[in-house]
Amino acid sequence: MKQHLGRQSGVQTVEVSLLDGKVDVTAKEDGYIDPAQLLKATYDSGVTAAEMDMTARGKIVKDASGGLALQVTPNQSFTFVPNELSKELESLAGTSTLVTVRGQLYKKSAGRKKPEPSTPLTLLILEVQKKE
Amino acid sequence: MSRKNFALLILFGMMVGPMAQAQIKHIEMRVEGMT
Repeated sequence: MKQHLGRQSGVQTVEVSLLDGKVDVTAKEDGYIDPAQLLKATYDSGVTAAEMDMTARGKIVKDASGGLALQVTPNQSFTFVPNELSKELESLAGTSTLVTVRGQLYKKSAGRKKPEPSTPLTLLILEVQKKE
Repeated sequence: MSRKNFALLILFGMMVGPMAQAQIKHIEMRVEGMT
C-alpha cells in the first residue's frame, strides 16, 4: 500500500503504522494531491479506509449552491459540512485570507466497504489552525 | 520594461501568489484490513 500511495501525484512521503492502522501522507511542496484518488488507491491496494482527515491551506469561497467551501486550487475545493467552526469562517468568504484547517473528509458508513466514487468529498472542520 | 508592464506583473504576482501557497499539506487515514 505504501508504494501504491507513494506513486500518486503530489505525494512526498507515506508513513504506515501497522500497529494502529494509521497512514500519514505528506504532500510535496506545491504538489497537487487528489484525496478521492488516494481513497481509491487505498482501496485498490486491498485495504479499507475507515476515515480520512486532511490538513489544507486555502481561501474561503461560496460554492455554486451558496455553501461555504475551502478553495485549495482554482480547480479544487471542498464544501464544508456546516458546524460552529465553518460559521466562524463565513466572514472570510471571498477575501484573500488564507486559512489552514484540519478536517474530516471521509468516514466509512456502517456496512459499506468501498467509498462511493461519485459522491464529492465534503470537509467537516475539526480545527482552524491559522488565518493569514 | 515599461512602467505599465511592471505594474501588471506586480498585480499578477499579487493575484497568483496567495493561491500558490494554498495546498493540501497532509492527509491522515485510518485503515482496516492491513496486514
